[in-house]
Amino acid sequence: MEAALEQHLDDTMKNPGIVGVLCTDAQGHNLGCRGSLSDEHGGVVSVLAKQAASLTKDPTDTPTVCLESDSGNVLVRTHGTITVAVHKMVS
Amino acid sequence: MGCCYSSESETAEQDGDERKPLIPHPNPDSKPPNGTERNPANISSTRTDEQALLSIINKTAQNIIDVSAADSQGMEQHEYMDKARQYSTKLAVLSSTLSQKKPPPLPSLTSQPHQVLASDLVPYSDIQQVCKVAAYAYSAISQIKVDAKEELVVQFAIP
Repeated sequence: MEAALEQHLDDTMKNPGIVGVLCTDAQGHNLGCRGSLSDEHGGVVSVLAKQAASLTKDPTDTPTVCLESDSGNVLVRTHGTITVAVHKMVS
Repeated sequence: MGCCYSSESETAEQDGDERKPLIPHPNPDSKPPNGTERNPANISSTRTDEQALLSIINKTAQNIIDVSAADSQGMEQHEYMDKARQYSTKLAVLSSTLSQKKPPPLPSLTSQPHQVLASDLVPYSDIQQVCKVAAYAYSAISQIKVDAKEELVVQFAIP
């Protein structure tokens, strides 16, 4: 049933530089995660995306949140009803 | 009654004090509510039904707080104030020690923000990549559907 999502998360982790991926719904419920991002981060990831979206006036314009750090960047992006966070090391 | 929080470290003396009801029972003797005094010696041993009924009434009376009687027989004003002060100090102590559970942080960011700020912008390819990952994940999730394998409602064969 959710095999496609699990497979997609596994495939995403194979990309160079990616050390963590997380998929959450609008309420912060974890739908799947790998690597450095765990199910505890679902809430904060979904809220970050929601707050960023509230900054734009255009409802069709979905922002991508980038948290830049020493240990790579965490990119947060909403698509439809889900939000995805990708932890990627700076190359 | 009135105990919002208890901890193992508290002394039994404090516990006993806190668990005392604020409003003492108005009829500690639990007299029958119809007002007639009953002498137990006069009750015949054969009238066990009546005794059983009485015990039920007594039990019920003990579980009822008579609010109308509490006004006259309740605590004095200063006793109320003392109790209120006692509970509020207790709560203040506890609320300072109870730490709110903080949400877990994302992977640690930086101790040298100027380096991060001075670094190159996030590559556009990374943003495209996360957009793609999100779109694929959304399509993967939209494939999730209930796979009905058997009837949830079963008709019983009624002759």
